[in-house]
Amino acid sequence: MFTHTPLRLTTLALLAAGSLSYAYIAGFFGLEILAEIAILAILVIALDLVAGFGGMVSLCHGALLGVGAYAFTVAATEAGLPALPAMLLSVALSSVLAFAIGAVCARSTGIYFIMATLAFGQMAYSFVFQSPLFGGDDGLSGAPRPDLTAIGIDFTDSRAFAVYTILLVALSYLIASATLRSGLGRSLVGIHHNEKRLRALGLTVWRAKATAFAISGALAGLAGCLAAQHTQYVSPGLLSWTVSGEALVVVILGGLGTLVGPLLGAILFVVLKHEISAITPYWHAIVGLILIAVVMSRAKGVFGFIEARWEARSPKPVVKEAKADA
Amino acid sequence: MLETRNLSKSFGPIQVTRDVSLKLEKGERRVILGPNGAGKTTLFNQLVGELRPDRGSIHLDGADVTGLRVADRARRGLSRSYQKNTLFDGLTIGENLGLAAAVALGKGQGLWSDPLQSAEVRETVREVAAQVDLAPYLGARVDAVSYGIRRQLEVGIALATRPKVILMDEPTSGVGPEMSKGFHRLLKGLPRDLTILIIEHDMDLAFDVADTITVLNYGEVVFDGLPEAARGSQLLKDIYLGAWEDA
Amino acid sequence: MTTDLGFWVLQTLNALQLSMLLFLLSVGLTVIFGLMHFVNLAHGSLYAFGAYVAATLAETLGYWGGFVLAPLAVAALGAVLYFTLIRSQRRAGPMAQVLVTFGLIFVAVDATRLIWGDLPIGIAVPALLDGQIALLGVEYPVYRLFIIALGLAVLAVLTLILTRTQIGAMIRAGVDNDQMAACLGINVERMFFLVFVVGCALAGLAGAVAAPVLSVTPDMGLQILIPTLIVIVIGGLGSLKGAVAGALIFGFVQTFGAVLLPTLSSVLIYALLAAVLVTRPEGLLPAKG
Repeated sequence: MFTHTPLRLTTLALLAAGSLSYAYIAGFFGLEILAEIAILAILVIALDLVAGFGGMVSLCHGALLGVGAYAFTVAATEAGLPALPAMLLSVALSSVLAFAIGAVCARSTGIYFIMATLAFGQMAYSFVFQSPLFGGDDGLSGAPRPDLTAIGIDFTDSRAFAVYTILLVALSYLIASATLRSGLGRSLVGIHHNEKRLRALGLTVWRAKATAFAISGALAGLAGCLAAQHTQYVSPGLLSWTVSGEALVVVILGGLGTLVGPLLGAILFVVLKHEISAITPYWHAIVGLILIAVVMSRAKGVFGFIEARWEARSPKPVVKEAKADA
Repeated sequence: MLETRNLSKSFGPIQVTRDVSLKLEKGERRVILGPNGAGKTTLFNQLVGELRPDRGSIHLDGADVTGLRVADRARRGLSRSYQKNTLFDGLTIGENLGLAAAVALGKGQGLWSDPLQSAEVRETVREVAAQVDLAPYLGARVDAVSYGIRRQLEVGIALATRPKVILMDEPTSGVGPEMSKGFHRLLKGLPRDLTILIIEHDMDLAFDVADTITVLNYGEVVFDGLPEAARGSQLLKDIYLGAWEDA
Repeated sequence: MTTDLGFWVLQTLNALQLSMLLFLLSVGLTVIFGLMHFVNLAHGSLYAFGAYVAATLAETLGYWGGFVLAPLAVAALGAVLYFTLIRSQRRAGPMAQVLVTFGLIFVAVDATRLIWGDLPIGIAVPALLDGQIALLGVEYPVYRLFIIALGLAVLAVLTLILTRTQIGAMIRAGVDNDQMAACLGINVERMFFLVFVVGCALAGLAGAVAAPVLSVTPDMGLQILIPTLIVIVIGGLGSLKGAVAGALIFGFVQTFGAVLLPTLSSVLIYALLAAVLVTRPEGLLPAKG
């Protein structure tokens, strides 16, 4: 069950303080990277919610992000909606889509679930890729950033935009952690451990899975809106299953099922990507090798490693277990 | 309270349940006896809806539930424990019971509060923990306690839904005679209005808790009556001794 | 157009050709899964490797040199992978397998870029199979008929091996029941290795025969991966019959969808996959009853 241990709370506080102060001092390039990290962070929070806690390893989160990005761009440019209503609309669309995918895939488990989500993700990808309405391979440009100049905030400024994305990461984290501590979140963890038993206890398992997927999809859609606003350009590549695969990589590197770890994973991944791609064009291969090494070592990611060390250092209060067997 | 009429099920050429008709009154404690392969667990699977019968019907508290799904039957007050532990392994014992209580109280899909902190769930957990002697272990993780404790939790989870009818599939399988006796003492302490159907291997212990006894052999009810009548039954001896000698 | 017999013949042949290519790829993947419960996302990369090796060897040894040696080279690579990664991840669960082989795709794509560059490589159809042949009123490339024939031949050989030989019986027993195979005194490790390597060789063969038809590019392994996965999921993981059925369904839906319903074609196959997963989560012809 999800809990906020002192270590997790400390890490969160450090991350918040660190990212906000970096946003204060960073130059243009640093701010761009910060926004990139924040967008990825929201996506991996969404993915960890379903994959880490519910055991629903999804390969369609890239597509959910892409749907959010495209819906936002179309709503804000062609339909002419202001940015905030357009965001709400696209988050809702991603969420509804995720609910449908979650409901349909609820009966599948293990590799079948992975394949099923992959299929739905690719369905969205090829739809967007082929449809002339969405600019096909060329993508769409012109997604606006929210206009808060009325209250003196200018989001065309990278610093303001970076702070805005960080605040939305915080909001996403709060939504995800509140979900995990709700009845639904408790059921989700229960489903992960023993779906059959939970059904026998009277839970409508498909509905719990679909609802959790919908919340996760809403967050992925939010990440999509921000991605569209960040680069002000969307292309079908956003929906590709490899984006989902990368998100899964980040979750694993950071620490699956810890919710805090994937945030560290996002920072690590984006920084590594920029550092390695500055040296060699083959940065994917390096990431691939790191991934293989992490999975094969069976470490629970960076944060899992830290948590294990922490617990080893500070002896936990032993549960008072009377020796009834004796 | 729980009734089956002419329940039948085959797997290919093998008929595992033959025209089983049972009727349990409210508060009745019935033990099902029978050799391995007699179709006891298969009967349970059909009762809770994990397996569809080929023919016949199942009635719970007066309503036909034959077509209902597992979760729907559970919500109508039918609960079961499994012969092989079916627990939430990574969680604590308290969380196991709390999850079961939360789901049964309809809090399993809620978004706005933590059911594990709710007064109702905590109260249920406390009561059930007392009923199955788990109170000292609530904070311990399932994988950190002994097999006997896990066996008690298996039944505790089923009880935490506050069922009208509980089916227990060999609740003491694999535990020593001492713990087994202790468990039967716990069983006798359960509320008298709870209807209980137990699959049990050990005849002496079965006679100890049963109001009535049903004997299954090759999927068929071969005895149905009071323990006193079963005790002297030559039929029961034949089946059991035969089965034991075969084994 | 659609009332013309020639149109139907042509499209049927196209569909068959695609089906057979996918069959070559999916049969290895599905039997490996059925036997070892291992999901190898890098299977497509092995196919791409096969295509590159065939294209490279074609320059010096001619097409047939590549045709014979590419499967062997891919099998050798498969053997290396088996001992370094696959064996240790066999019991690690689907997520670890997906991740490790996903990492492998990253490495494979960059490795091909490093060795062969980013530009597509072309390879000519062998002289023996060059040209067109008249068939039921349509002119059809001989090479594409060769792909169909090759697919059918491989299917026939595999069916014979699986149904008539001792090793085939062992494989079927292993797919049916893990423990049973071990109980029968089968050397499970050796069987796994053999099946994995043969599956890799078939992927390499698919790459070699696809090379003259498609252009050989670093991402061709990624491109083919999704169709291959769809085939085995529709057909039912682990089953030879399922791979055949899935490949045919994919080939025909994709080919006829593209000409009859061009606006829907790309979504059609995914919708079909979704329908299969909803109604029969284990696929149409699962290996285990």
